[in-house]
Amino acid sequence: MKMPGPAALRRFAAFAVIVNGLFPLFWIFLTSLKTEAELTRIPITWLPHAPTLENYVRAFHDQPLAIYLFNSLAVALISTALTLFIATLAAYALARLEIGYKGLALGAIIAVSTFPLVTLLVPLFQTMRTLGLLNTYAALVLPYTVLSLPVCTLVLVSFFQSIPIDLENAAMIDGCSRVGALFRIVVPLSAPGVFTAGLLAFVNSWDEFLLALSFNSATSMRTLPVGITLYQGEFAFPWPVISAALVVGIVPVAALIVMFQQRVISGLTAGGVKG
Amino acid sequence: MPENLSRLAGEDDARSASGEGAARSTLPASTGPAATGHRPADPPRAPSPPRRRRRLLDANDAVLARILLAPTFLLLLVIVVYPVCRLIWTSFLEDSLTSGLPPHFVGVENYVSLATDPEFWTALTNTLLITLITVPAALLAGLALALVANLPFQVRWPVRLSLLIPWAIPLAFVGLIGGWFFQSDYGVVNDLLRHVRSTRIIWFNSGWLSFMAICLTITWKTSSFVALVLLAGLQTIPDELYEAASVDGAGVFRRFFSVTLPMLKPSIAVAVIFRMITSLQTFDIPVTMTRGGPGTSTVTLAMYIHQNTIDFLDLGYGSALAVVLFLVSMGVTAFYLRQVSAQP
Repeated sequence: MKMPGPAALRRFAAFAVIVNGLFPLFWIFLTSLKTEAELTRIPITWLPHAPTLENYVRAFHDQPLAIYLFNSLAVALISTALTLFIATLAAYALARLEIGYKGLALGAIIAVSTFPLVTLLVPLFQTMRTLGLLNTYAALVLPYTVLSLPVCTLVLVSFFQSIPIDLENAAMIDGCSRVGALFRIVVPLSAPGVFTAGLLAFVNSWDEFLLALSFNSATSMRTLPVGITLYQGEFAFPWPVISAALVVGIVPVAALIVMFQQRVISGLTAGGVKG
Repeated sequence: MPENLSRLAGEDDARSASGEGAARSTLPASTGPAATGHRPADPPRAPSPPRRRRRLLDANDAVLARILLAPTFLLLLVIVVYPVCRLIWTSFLEDSLTSGLPPHFVGVENYVSLATDPEFWTALTNTLLITLITVPAALLAGLALALVANLPFQVRWPVRLSLLIPWAIPLAFVGLIGGWFFQSDYGVVNDLLRHVRSTRIIWFNSGWLSFMAICLTITWKTSSFVALVLLAGLQTIPDELYEAASVDGAGVFRRFFSVTLPMLKPSIAVAVIFRMITSLQTFDIPVTMTRGGPGTSTVTLAMYIHQNTIDFLDLGYGSALAVVLFLVSMGVTAFYLRQVSAQP
């Protein structure tokens, strides 16, 4: 492709995109290194004069941040595993088997991907309350699985379709059953797709706020996005401590993204993704 | 199943029994003879347990499809269909957990009180305004970001990361970050504005300024999602189209409007519909930035539903509110499905 515009302009545009995307996070990082005294100085300082890690210590001390992290991780991992398993089965049926209602099934799955989660708040609250599941991982894992299922299914369908069918046929000639071929041939070969779908499911669960706030209000069961809002009092905003907690919360997901950015991009290409 | 496969099915059975004897050690001893390596095995040994198992797993496509799709549809039934039915039913009940009364049918009473509830109208207006402002804004910003990210730089990861990381971090985090950015004394926004105006802006004391701060924050967060969807679309446009347009004498702008935009239409449709649906549910950012204040000036429909359901435990009224949101969203979904099915 011919490069539009002069090189300097292109470089400036790239710089602007990077500043737009990363400056807010960099600013939070700088804030997390400042003392409360430095923060309340006018005009504000940009680089911290005396960088300190004390805010990180306080972030773990003022709120059980480690517990929130663990809960978020547990809920996200369990729901990701569950989503991947269910989506793999469905995607194989949709990608490979001759079924008459394929269009209908795909339509239903796409319809669910546009479903407003807010409308599930009341009935799921009633059900979870009746079943005594409020303040358990299950209260979040089940809805999060449904939240990610459509995207993951669509991503996996497109990856499965890219695996040559001859490989499966060969496996079946060699005595593998159809389900055996799915788990021994198709899934390993579409590992990048499975991984991508898993990443999307993980990010979905990691980010969810409304249900986590509504269903798991006990301190020991709170997830990170809910717990992180609790540093502020009615009038007090300990911004350096909040910033430190935010950095702690951003690092795991950012690390995943940095390591696997290419997979995420290909996943977003493969399935129309919800954001 | 292709022809060659069914032709080989007889031999296939025997080979599976011999080749996977170890894996099937739990099966009765009748696999024994085959496992000792008499291959090709004779057909009469057919009704052995491996065969029955094979029949289950190798059932015809229709049955297998039903088995494979069952977990998905079971989950959708339990977590989506049943709750929606229950939601609609509850919206016709007086069902308040604080009243001490058992739930009872009141017809459309919840909907009547909703229609005369000024806070509902405020929340609905705010929600629709947020959608009307942030969806086009995020689309324009996202398009600009995607065009830059699609440039063939030698090193692409910094630009990509600056789209991916804002997309991946929780909305609730972004709301907190927004609150800190627009903080009136020490916020970085006012610090930058200091250079162009003499007095600082106290963002969160005024209803419409808070609203604007929220819209800006939502636009920043969601433009990354739009950009990623559009970037995916841009990458599918073949270079030949641009080259052909260049040969025909089209300049940068002409190429953008005659090639890029038309080719990008499906991606734009997807991005816009998903953005509309998620922005109708706006909750996290206003909650973490302003908690709906000052007054009720930044309360959204989702916040009002949450307040009535979780804080006031008025499930009947909360359900009626949610039904309204559901209907609005359904309209958008129907539109989206028609768009998708219209595409080849």
